[in-house]
Amino acid sequence: MTKLQKVNKGEVFLIDDDAAVRRGVAALLTAADYTVSIFTSGEEFLSEMGSLDIDDAALLVDVCMPGIQGLELQEKLNRDGVDLPVIVMTAHGDIPMAVRAMRNGAVDFLEKPFTVDEVTTSLERAHAISRPVIKGAQKASPELCKNYDSLTPRESEVLRNVVDGSTNKEIARSLDVSPRTIEVHRQNMMSKMNAKSFAELVRMAVALDIGD
Amino acid sequence: MTENTLEELDGSFANQILETVDTLVVILNRHGEIVFFNRACQLLTGFNAGEALGRKVWDFLILDEEIDAVRGAFEALNAENTPSHFINYWKTKDGAPRIIEWSNNTLKDEDGAIAYILGTGVDITESKSKEAALYESKSFLRAIVGASPVAIITSNEKGTILSFSRKAEAIFGFKENEALGQNLTLIIPEPDRLRHDQYLNHYLETGERRIMGKARQVTAVKKSGERFPVVIHVNEFHDGVRVFVGFIEDLSEQKVTERRLEDVKNQLQHIGRIGAMGEIAATIAHELNQPLTAAASLAGAVSLTLRKVEFPQRDDAISHLNETVSEIRRASEIIRQMRDFMRKRKTAKSLHDVNHVVEEAIAIALIGAEAGGVHVTTDLGANVGEASLDRIQIQQVVINLIRNSIDAMQDAEKKHLAISTAKKSRFIEIKISDTGHGLSDDVKKRLFEPFFTTKEEGMGIGLSISKSIIDAHQGEITAIEKESPGVIFSIKLPVGGHDKAAKSQ
Repeated sequence: MTKLQKVNKGEVFLIDDDAAVRRGVAALLTAADYTVSIFTSGEEFLSEMGSLDIDDAALLVDVCMPGIQGLELQEKLNRDGVDLPVIVMTAHGDIPMAVRAMRNGAVDFLEKPFTVDEVTTSLERAHAISRPVIKGAQKASPELCKNYDSLTPRESEVLRNVVDGSTNKEIARSLDVSPRTIEVHRQNMMSKMNAKSFAELVRMAVALDIGD
Repeated sequence: MTENTLEELDGSFANQILETVDTLVVILNRHGEIVFFNRACQLLTGFNAGEALGRKVWDFLILDEEIDAVRGAFEALNAENTPSHFINYWKTKDGAPRIIEWSNNTLKDEDGAIAYILGTGVDITESKSKEAALYESKSFLRAIVGASPVAIITSNEKGTILSFSRKAEAIFGFKENEALGQNLTLIIPEPDRLRHDQYLNHYLETGERRIMGKARQVTAVKKSGERFPVVIHVNEFHDGVRVFVGFIEDLSEQKVTERRLEDVKNQLQHIGRIGAMGEIAATIAHELNQPLTAAASLAGAVSLTLRKVEFPQRDDAISHLNETVSEIRRASEIIRQMRDFMRKRKTAKSLHDVNHVVEEAIAIALIGAEAGGVHVTTDLGANVGEASLDRIQIQQVVINLIRNSIDAMQDAEKKHLAISTAKKSRFIEIKISDTGHGLSDDVKKRLFEPFFTTKEEGMGIGLSISKSIIDAHQGEITAIEKESPGVIFSIKLPVGGHDKAAKSQ
């Protein structure tokens, strides 16, 4: 474990198997005034967890790693009752995994590569959630339910498929329409749901308990 | 001997015997005239003793075309005094020919000179005609067997080939004389080759019919070593001894079947190519995305740092860095599109009999492959049952593993490929075991990594695809090192398909 300077926006435990990614993301978080502890694997994190102060900390973990994968680590922490907000980092192919992580209680997921704003927004959410007051904030709000009810059957079908990780092309094939049609449905659905990003849409879907 | 002696014979006890036996007894004097014509002769010919005595046999009993031959035999006996056997026709009073087999001998006078010729004969007309009929029906049968479009092979209880039809010659490439006397295992490939005797004995001992009386699709082997699919129908009959007869149809000859197999192969290859492209694309996307992530993060870090200091071109620098991040994101997006474009098709699972799926995969993997001296054994467990799987994908994995095993044994002294299935409590296991060169520690670590290969012409995609296919089935694929040289690849699939607990440990 490498510990970088302590400022005061809170602590981040960063786990990724790629050295360059660790270095880059740690530099970014440090510049954004977070304290960063770096781990090269889930195993390393677990072996040192006993000596870590997990209050006011968040876990930023890659879902796809050799050894213990992000999801397994998250499930183990859940089982052990460790109260640590989790953000998962995914590569392109891992949408279904991201959805599973969210369902398992992850605060958010970040698609690599991410911007400064995306990662800091997620971390702010994470640190807010770790304060008991905001716990349970992930339940669907009445407004979210209203938005969801305004979708046409086709649009909600597209929503379900999108959060399952299907591409437009795959959805088009399974619904037997053109990819262009799906694109239109998808845009309409995103704006009706008032979702600004895919990650936000997945978060909503999890709150609404939609999808696989 | 004089006329008197015959008269003496006439009333004697011996004469009474000669009169009652069924055997034809005729005695000629040196001129060929009949001096004795027993009751059996009279019954057969319809001539009574009075009509026959004193006449020469060739004057009234012999067919015209045989007269010379019979006279010749008579002269020879008269001169040489050697006993002889002779078959010729006698014609009866009403003209019907009878076939008689004769034993001829001479009777001598006190001086030792030939006095009479004695002929004893048996009417073999009935048995001769039976034999002729049998001969005719046998050649009729031979003609049918020869003309049959289905290969016909007969064997005895020991499996020794008794007949090998023309079509069998055409299908298997062996001439009849190469096949006769050989064991049936001549045309049976491994692994059944070694077990055939066992199968035969099992049937002979228990009478339990496994393939007897049923049409069954099996793999046969030609003289060239090429394996090919056949339908075989075995039956038995008794011809004094027990004989097995096999009717064999070459399936590879049937265009329809050929096309179907070809289709399956093409389908597998196509899926394989798409799978390979998808795998390559996914790997490149993932591998490229990591440095892009690092780069975007570093640029973000610098941008954040710059916000904390003051210098004239700071805002320009920050905006350039933000543009850098956008461009990195664009690159990542392009890669994502490429990956989505070549994405592997989704796994289409349904319930399949695992043994059947594996059997088919073995057949496809081995057909067309040079036998190469590889001894193949299969041990498909009873009650393995069904699993929810994508048949084509799982077959692709099994075929891939079999081909790898065969490749690995190319230079091995002992080439034994063993394929087995078994049902364990929570999963079904398929094992493919070889006696090849095994895996070094380095290879073992990187076995399932994309683009890792030990083959000169390999892409390093096969095992990587296999792993993603098995992962998509919530299963597990592992390589187990054997104590003796070689590797066992194990595929574990969840029972019933919905049980995610297939990861056994």
